[in-house]
Amino acid sequence: MQASRARLFKEYKEVQREKSADPDIQLICDDSNIFKWTALIKGPSETPFEGGVFQLAFSIPEQYPLLPPQVRFMTKIFHPNVHFKTGEICLDILKNAWSPAWTLQSVCRAIIALMAHPEADSPLNCDSGNLLRSGDIRGYQSMARMYTRLAAMPKKD
Amino acid sequence: MGYDDAHSHASAAARDAKKKRGKSSAKLKQCKLDARREQWLSQVKDGKETKAAASPAGGGSNAGSPILASPHPPLPRRRVDTRSRGGAPEEAGATVQEVGSSDLDSPMHSPGSDNSRGGGCTQRNRCSSNGGGPSLSSVSSLWSSSRSVSDAEDDDTGSGPEEENGVLDDWEAVADALSVDDNSHRHQCSGAIVVPAATSDSTPSANAAKRKDPICSNTRAWTPDDMFRPQSLPSISKQASFPANIGNCWVGMGAAQQSVLSLPLSCPICYEDLDPTDSSFLPCPCGFHLCLFCHKRILEADERCPGCRKQYNAVPAGGVKAPAVGIGREMANGVPLRLSRSCSMGPRY
Repeated sequence: MQASRARLFKEYKEVQREKSADPDIQLICDDSNIFKWTALIKGPSETPFEGGVFQLAFSIPEQYPLLPPQVRFMTKIFHPNVHFKTGEICLDILKNAWSPAWTLQSVCRAIIALMAHPEADSPLNCDSGNLLRSGDIRGYQSMARMYTRLAAMPKKD
Repeated sequence: MGYDDAHSHASAAARDAKKKRGKSSAKLKQCKLDARREQWLSQVKDGKETKAAASPAGGGSNAGSPILASPHPPLPRRRVDTRSRGGAPEEAGATVQEVGSSDLDSPMHSPGSDNSRGGGCTQRNRCSSNGGGPSLSSVSSLWSSSRSVSDAEDDDTGSGPEEENGVLDDWEAVADALSVDDNSHRHQCSGAIVVPAATSDSTPSANAAKRKDPICSNTRAWTPDDMFRPQSLPSISKQASFPANIGNCWVGMGAAQQSVLSLPLSCPICYEDLDPTDSSFLPCPCGFHLCLFCHKRILEADERCPGCRKQYNAVPAGGVKAPAVGIGREMANGVPLRLSRSCSMGPRY
């Protein structure tokens, strides 16, 4: 308990210090609970998610960093490895390949990398996975782009 | 234990109480987040517009614009203003050079100007415009032109890059001030030699500069093409203030094979500082350092090295790293370090 808190404080300081280090990631700690974080990540360029800003919710277990944080998308996203309804993310480093050497920042980076490189063979979103597996790249991209426009971009006035 | 229980009960109660308040505050928080996101998004959009607006207008000087847009994402809207004001974006060395050359006949191409490197902050621009060394009258006109540029910059960037480069600016100012003395001495000697030789030269303005204000030219700490100019001074100063356990005798014991510079100074797991025992502790042949405390916690959990994700126990006691592995094992079993220490001390006697 104390170790996780101490480490999260350190990470918080690190984030404050290097605010501009990674322009694609904004990590925000909850005002009252250091075990709840929110991240805003920009969709990587040259993907259907480009131009969108996606919100992630981090819920950090008390055994952190021995156990991985639980992360899910709060912004709707059409991606084979993200559950369309719950936003759950299927990413090995958030499950069994977690290492305590990872940080919240590096998890964000891994998620951005996952957005750019979907893994269609272990889909949480079967529609998206099937489009990719059947080789319909255009279909996948246009669907993903549509949902990016709908959910991750500001409404047109 | 008892304390923990009581504590958890108390915190649970507090949580329940909070939940009632929490719902309204959660809404508020979401509002804030949304606002922040929208703001960010609009900045992204603006940034794109800026790029688009700049591309037809800028022409040759446009090489700087992508660099401009990327490093300081905030405040792109104002940036649009500066562009429309007459193509004087901040810190694009190339553009400053252009301004200079349109005002006066290529004083900036004199050897002193290193604007092409695009130093970035206002102070540098001022320095180098001085250092460019046109004659005094043209200095003032250039000064006014570059002054307006830097004014725009100041308005523009507000606290952004200024804040970042604050340390660097000050440092360089000091370095410049120090080097003024040296250079002025040198110039009084060399100037006399240079001037007569240079009269036959084809660039009189540059020479005039050298003659008239020798102190102004070359007053920078770094020469134009200086490869050794530290790119990231703050981090260097930070390294200098690192705890001095590098020269420690402990390093020689466990982690001698590891290059000294790659030693982390804090445990990558708990971020606490590594003491000498920790930094000589190498539980895994992959060379991943961590503190004994975290190692013990990992042994209680999934027993995998955070660096290579292999099982700690599966690690063979390989030849070179044998003593370090030995320490790890002993620590896991709660046996004190005495044995390995005596091993390493042995050869001395």
